[in-house]
Amino acid sequence: MSLRRFFRRRRNDAEVSIEMESYLSLESDENLVRGMSKEEARRQAYLKFGSPERIREEVWKRNSIAPLENALRDIRYAWRTLRRSPGYAFMAILTLGLGIGANAAIFTVINGILLRPLPYANPTQIVHLEQTASRVGADPIGFSVQEIADYRQLNHVFTDLAEYHSMTFTLLGSKVPERVSTGVVSANFFDVLGVKPVLGRLITPADETQKAEPVLVLSYAYWVKNFGRDPKILGRTFVMNDRVHTVVGVLPPLPEYPDANDVYMPTTSCPFRSNPKMIADRDMRMFTVFARMKADVTEAQARRDLATITNRLALIYPKSYPAAAGVSAQIAGLEHELTHAARPTFLTLLGAAGLVLLLACANLANLAISRQMRRSQEMAIRMATGASAWDIFRQLLTESMVVALAGGVLGLGIAAVGSKLLIDYAARMTPLSGEIHLDGRVLFFVAALSIVAGVLFGALPGFVASRNRLSVLTGSGERSVGSGQVTQARMVLVAVQVALSFVLLVCAGLMLQSLHKLLSVDPGFKTANVLSMRISLDWTKYAKRAELNQFFHQVLGRVSGLPGVESAAVSVMVPLNGNVGTMTGGILLEGRPVDPGEMMPQVDFELASPDYFHVLGVPILAGRAFTDGDNQNSPAVGIVNARMAKRFWPTQDPIGRHVSIDNGKTWITIVGVASSVHQYGLDKDLREGIYLPQDQSPSLTDAHLLVRTRVEPMRAANQIADVIHQIDPHQPVTEMRSLDQLRSAQLGTPRVTTILLGLFAALALFITVVGVSGTLALAVAHRTKEIGIRIALGAPKEEILHSVLMRGMSPVIAGIAAGAVAAIFSTRFLANMLFTIKPDDPLTLGGIAILLAVVALIGCAIPARNAIRVDPMKALRTE
Amino acid sequence: MDRMKKSDGEMLQGTLDMMILRALVMGPAHGHTIAHVIEHTSEDVLQVEQGSLYPALHRLEDRGWLESYWGASENNRKAKFYRLTSAGKKQLVLETNRWRQMARAIGLVMGE
Repeated sequence: MSLRRFFRRRRNDAEVSIEMESYLSLESDENLVRGMSKEEARRQAYLKFGSPERIREEVWKRNSIAPLENALRDIRYAWRTLRRSPGYAFMAILTLGLGIGANAAIFTVINGILLRPLPYANPTQIVHLEQTASRVGADPIGFSVQEIADYRQLNHVFTDLAEYHSMTFTLLGSKVPERVSTGVVSANFFDVLGVKPVLGRLITPADETQKAEPVLVLSYAYWVKNFGRDPKILGRTFVMNDRVHTVVGVLPPLPEYPDANDVYMPTTSCPFRSNPKMIADRDMRMFTVFARMKADVTEAQARRDLATITNRLALIYPKSYPAAAGVSAQIAGLEHELTHAARPTFLTLLGAAGLVLLLACANLANLAISRQMRRSQEMAIRMATGASAWDIFRQLLTESMVVALAGGVLGLGIAAVGSKLLIDYAARMTPLSGEIHLDGRVLFFVAALSIVAGVLFGALPGFVASRNRLSVLTGSGERSVGSGQVTQARMVLVAVQVALSFVLLVCAGLMLQSLHKLLSVDPGFKTANVLSMRISLDWTKYAKRAELNQFFHQVLGRVSGLPGVESAAVSVMVPLNGNVGTMTGGILLEGRPVDPGEMMPQVDFELASPDYFHVLGVPILAGRAFTDGDNQNSPAVGIVNARMAKRFWPTQDPIGRHVSIDNGKTWITIVGVASSVHQYGLDKDLREGIYLPQDQSPSLTDAHLLVRTRVEPMRAANQIADVIHQIDPHQPVTEMRSLDQLRSAQLGTPRVTTILLGLFAALALFITVVGVSGTLALAVAHRTKEIGIRIALGAPKEEILHSVLMRGMSPVIAGIAAGAVAAIFSTRFLANMLFTIKPDDPLTLGGIAILLAVVALIGCAIPARNAIRVDPMKALRTE
Repeated sequence: MDRMKKSDGEMLQGTLDMMILRALVMGPAHGHTIAHVIEHTSEDVLQVEQGSLYPALHRLEDRGWLESYWGASENNRKAKFYRLTSAGKKQLVLETNRWRQMARAIGLVMGE
């Protein structure tokens, strides 16, 4: 029996009718020939043939599938029932649609970034190698060229090691000079990742020799954006760093990892990397390393092998690996690296959305039970006329399934929109956000979720109804056997709802407090009315210090002269830009020699022009700020931050002391102490730092211009960019942002997480209160007679009120207790998303408990008021 | 699925299918012709009960032994014609052999 036939039964039936009709007419024609009358011919034909109806029936039955038939009948019946109460159907479908939609949207993101395989060959074998100096700081310190060569040669666990770093270069040959983010990679980089080009070829070892012609490989996104997928791009030439580069290939679409690079070039083409000093110096640790593990090697083996190499290098080059620094090499799986930031957030959100859906199911189950009780007469009659308990159960389950599947369809629509909204949010946590879209797996998830939801909220009412028996018909009504169980079931549902929403509310409460604490962090400078823009200078054009300084002096002079501008400065970094790594180095203090084998104290460096402190509003606590007099020809000076002053000169005046950042070759006189600032992020601790005048520093080619404006900063942006273009028309100006924008970008991720969790929690609270109040209202309605008798017997109103409220609040209290236990266990997963608040913060737990109890009490107020207003006469007369 | 027929020309279980296949060896035919062919060639001993003919035709079509198409009957009415498929031909050979064996075996038992 095929399904195809099942769905073609009607057509089949029509065909059989025609077939039989043709038979009958042929037969009666023959009978006519035999000399019968017209009527007799027809009659005889029928007599011979038998009943056409019976044959139709038989063929119909042959084409039927009994369970499917029943299911369709149930669905039609459910559909009719739901159409009779459109309010309930609409409410239920909307609730489920929202619940399923929220889950599906978040699942779409998880599917895109956590479940889909990475677009690399055997991604589990790819690791990111990191070298750290654990006793100096937690941040990775990178690898030097010498180290990469050594690790390549000495390891036994990797098939290959690839080198990588990213820089910005000017690319000439397009319509306008363009700054392109450039991945500088060793020839085997793409082999290690396991990537094949979509066009041309990738970089080969022949490209990485000193005499090779410079080549470029374009990223897919850059090729699409700037060249409209032009296949003729191969062979096109561009000038970069005064050399002609030829495009040899285009990469496939890949995650923006390690960085969002526009183009890739071999290490030999990078003027910075191919500098002989850079190659020779073991301590110039500037590069990133990726490796592919051999197929049979475990991570533990790889770690042991790396430790062996580290120890060996430390023996050969004790100066480069002082024991006090604790230099070691670690590996991190690529998969972990790409997803670890997003994983806890989205799993938490999926958990929260799942809880909301569960709550919604509990509420619908509750609602369905009360609908059931109104329909109990109908059910009882059906059972009396021969319907089995299973028939009733199945029919109610079908009803909830129809609602759930309709909710699923709505949810799919919500997910399609919702997941799009989540892409930007996800992009802050993972380079894989481009992979987020609806696919078969999401469809399957929605279907499965709808079915689970349908069973969840349909099974309990179905069970209750199917056990209803005939008590309803015998007149014993609601007070009969089943009713006690029903009330109990509803109480349990309410308690579960309260517990679930308690957990959600605690999570949201914690996130909210964490966000509030982040918001109230004082960065140490004034963010209002400060504009920042990135000026990455052409490496070769401004090779000489004098030209560079002249450029900056011109920019600062002219920008400061603009009408809307108060002051301007240049520096290496924009404060609060968390994406930029720190510039950290060892420092030598005058009169305090460092023992061999001991690590130099590490501090952060920042280069600043004279007005820097004024632009940012950083108070100078002692001494002076930089002046125009602090230039190449004057003695070297520096300004330390308060934290550094306190650490190194706790009891003395730091002004006038000397420090060296080049191991004692030159000495810098400290002329001022500036207040400490949160340079790298609001949630990052303050660190020791020293400011050096821009004019006295080694060349600053990747700089930021900071401008304090009198008007709204973004309004002055174009005017300032114009000034820079007047000075150097080929100089791109990028990343124009106000510090306020940077600050809110920093808060963006926790803010969105908080908003989403808060939304879920508010929804949960609302659903729960509706549940609590609805259950109590029904209980009061059922007890009207009893309450009436008690009032008639003279029970004081307080007593009635007390008993009703106790009844309403007891599942709430039980739920809060259960929820508190659940919350203590589940909020641990939030720990690394929280800022200066513990996940088991007792104040939050207590506050939420009180909030929930108060709101539930308010929810109980209306049914309780109705209870004390019961008119005993009316109540007794109703029966 | 087939019920035992209680008419005079009662048929052995499963023989109807075989006879329908046999009737179609001569070429495509519609239900009426098939019934006639069976009746005439059996010298009117076997009366095909129409009530079992049509379900049988549908069953055989389901199994892929027959295929059908709509055409015009002798009196120019729309009629459904059935045709043997190659699987149907194989089935016919199979059932004919089995029938012969069975007929011979019954004959032996009956002392013929």
